[in-house]
Amino acid sequence: MKPGKLSGVSLQVKISSIYILTNLLVMCVNVVLLLGINNISRRLDMVYQDNLHLNELSDMLTTVQDNMTDYLSSKTSDSLENYYRSEQDYRTMMENLNEEITGISFDRMERNIRYMSEDYLEEVGQTIEAKRGRNVEKYRVHYEEATRMYEYIHTYISGLNMERFRNNSEQYSALLQRFRLFEVISLISMALVMASNVCIIISLVGTSIRPLKKLAGSADEVARGNFDIELLPVESQDEVGVVTGAFNQMVVSIGKYIERLRESMEAERELKERELMMETHLKDARLKYLQAQINPHFLFNTLNAGAQLAMMEEADRTYEYVQKVAQFYRYNMKKSEETVTIADEIEMVDYYVYILNVRFAGDIHYEKRIDPTLLSVEMPGMILQPIVENCVNHGIREMGGDGSVCLSVYRTEKGVCISVKDNGIGMSRETIDQIMSGSYREEGRNTGSNGIGMDNVISRMKLFTKNENVMEISSEGAGMGTEVFIYLCDGQERRENV
Amino acid sequence: MILTAACIALTGVMAAYVIWFYQNGLTEETERETYDKYYMMITEDNKSSIWQSVYQGASTRALEENAYVDWLGDTIFEGYGVEELMQIATASGVDGIIVTANENEELTELINEAAEEGIPVVTLYGDNTKSARCSFVGVGSYNMGHEYGRQALEIVRERAQEETDEAGSQPAAEEGGNQGSSVKVAVLVNAYAQDLDQNILCAGIQETIEQEREEDMEIEFSLLSVDDTNAFSVEESIRDIFMEQEIPDIMICLNELTTTCVYQAVVDYNKVGEVNILGYYDSETIIRAIDRNVIYATVAIDTRQMGAFCIDALQEYYELGYTSQYFTADIRLINKDNVAEYLERGEDADEAW
Repeated sequence: MKPGKLSGVSLQVKISSIYILTNLLVMCVNVVLLLGINNISRRLDMVYQDNLHLNELSDMLTTVQDNMTDYLSSKTSDSLENYYRSEQDYRTMMENLNEEITGISFDRMERNIRYMSEDYLEEVGQTIEAKRGRNVEKYRVHYEEATRMYEYIHTYISGLNMERFRNNSEQYSALLQRFRLFEVISLISMALVMASNVCIIISLVGTSIRPLKKLAGSADEVARGNFDIELLPVESQDEVGVVTGAFNQMVVSIGKYIERLRESMEAERELKERELMMETHLKDARLKYLQAQINPHFLFNTLNAGAQLAMMEEADRTYEYVQKVAQFYRYNMKKSEETVTIADEIEMVDYYVYILNVRFAGDIHYEKRIDPTLLSVEMPGMILQPIVENCVNHGIREMGGDGSVCLSVYRTEKGVCISVKDNGIGMSRETIDQIMSGSYREEGRNTGSNGIGMDNVISRMKLFTKNENVMEISSEGAGMGTEVFIYLCDGQERRENV
Repeated sequence: MILTAACIALTGVMAAYVIWFYQNGLTEETERETYDKYYMMITEDNKSSIWQSVYQGASTRALEENAYVDWLGDTIFEGYGVEELMQIATASGVDGIIVTANENEELTELINEAAEEGIPVVTLYGDNTKSARCSFVGVGSYNMGHEYGRQALEIVRERAQEETDEAGSQPAAEEGGNQGSSVKVAVLVNAYAQDLDQNILCAGIQETIEQEREEDMEIEFSLLSVDDTNAFSVEESIRDIFMEQEIPDIMICLNELTTTCVYQAVVDYNKVGEVNILGYYDSETIIRAIDRNVIYATVAIDTRQMGAFCIDALQEYYELGYTSQYFTADIRLINKDNVAEYLERGEDADEAW
């Protein structure tokens, strides 16, 4: 199909045309075959027609002869009338006989019969005339002559009839044979036309549907998420062409839309990243500020000077106190960003509890249950001290001299566990959950603390162990105390073994 | 697309074939060619190959002249006599009649009747001299008789030669039917034929024998009548001759049927070599008999030429108003010497002459 010629035709017209075309073909062939059958059957009907004519002619001849004889014997006016009538009829029939000399023997025989009949009728006429004129001798002679002619003609007609019959019979059987042949041809024709139609329909429908198939393939591809397909060429202006155009448009639009969406998401992500960065910087700045405020070297040196002064003045308890405060700060300054051992951390807690007990006149009962084999296990620095600080600040400060803190280090199935248990006011479930999720915000948090919150502790532990389950807080309710578990996993233990 | 086009083309071709099939295939009719003149040929018998050959000759010539000849009596009017057929032909208003005539008066009358109605009649083979026929096509009976006579003498000479040869080797030669070395020559004539030609022919034979015989030849010339009144009497008559004591040495037959019958009788009565046959016409049977040495020789007429002459006569009559009174067809002698070429010809159907 040339796209130029039929591109504007609608799909309906195309498909309808195919069916009309094939039906037309079938109809044409049927009409032709029908005409053929009609023709043959008409010929079959006509085969013996001329035999019938000859029979009629022969009968009429006999009638003429009979009427003449009748008149001759009775001489009634009825018989004369009958004679004239039959003579006229015979003459009319005779007129239909062939007159020309042709190559066909039947034609020539007809011609001879015609001429002989003319002679015969003349003879009969003369016989009748003679009879009317009562010329006995004459009419007898004419009668004999006419009768002889009658016999000749009769024989001639019979012969012709016989010949014709023989010929017609042959023709009839030939026609029948042809009829059978025609049947076979008809069957073959129908089969061929059917095959042709099937081919035509398959080929033309295939041509019309091909763009639709391509479209379906592309649509399937798009449905699977691949927008990167080649655009379909619009071959025709029919429905399929329109749909193909729309589909192309749609694929292009969807592609553009997705591109825009991706761009806007990218922008949003960048924005968030910047926000996060700013927060980090802010924290950093605050830390720097705090550090700057403390200036540990200065404080450490000052405290050391104080310790030396106390020693010189032989105030031993003051010396020990100042010395331990100085140790505490040195540790703080030195180890806050390093990996330390459990022993270091416990020493730090020891200093802290000592300082507090001096400050608050021995309010805190401090107990240690340490597995000495685990002292060299590594852990991040500045973990235990903030936990203990929290215990003291939130758990037992208000309890006077009854508050106690128990620090345990022991081996579990999974690794090493460090437990810090107090007998303070305890914690609600919500608070525990908030602390664990890092969303707990203490009011006035910067007062009386070294600035390291639980969230910081948890996140550093997570980073160190590369494990989510690093800490657990359990409290059996208000006034029942709190226990904080820190888990160090196999990695740290292995390191210890090495 | 190509497939579709091919299919449509195929269907088209088939439709065309179907149309052709019943347009052409079913209208198988002879061309209705029309002719100017219509002649009728009437013969005594319509079985013998001589008349078939004559008819073919006439028919071929007629078609050349845009005329048509029908052979009346070959189918429908089988068994009708020449006279009745003459009446039918006359009543049929044909343009000319060719009839094998004799000197019968009834026939004369019929020929005259036809002539009165303006139908020219040509007599064929046998003439009716008293009638108003326009022409006669015959075979030149006298010449034919002359030829028969010469052949008869030839046989006599050969016989004498054989006798002297035999006498030389066997001094006491005795022959049953040929005592005194007198040779009996018999001409088989139709008993009831009022045929002038036959008489002329016989006269020709007799004259030739008388004139050309050598001194020492003893020849007994006789005419043997053959009863030709009905279809089977000829054969019976010939058998009768062979039943008699004296069988002629040379039998001259003047028509095809007689020749065939004599030939068969000679074979049946074991007279081959004793009886010499001079036949008539060149039918296949006769030619083969010559080849087998049963028939000595045969005189053949150019039958096709004869047929053609009939048409020529009629056409000439129509063109000029008159025509030659006599046409003589050629005759030819066929004997052992030239029989081979006729044998070959016989195999190529009826391609005579």
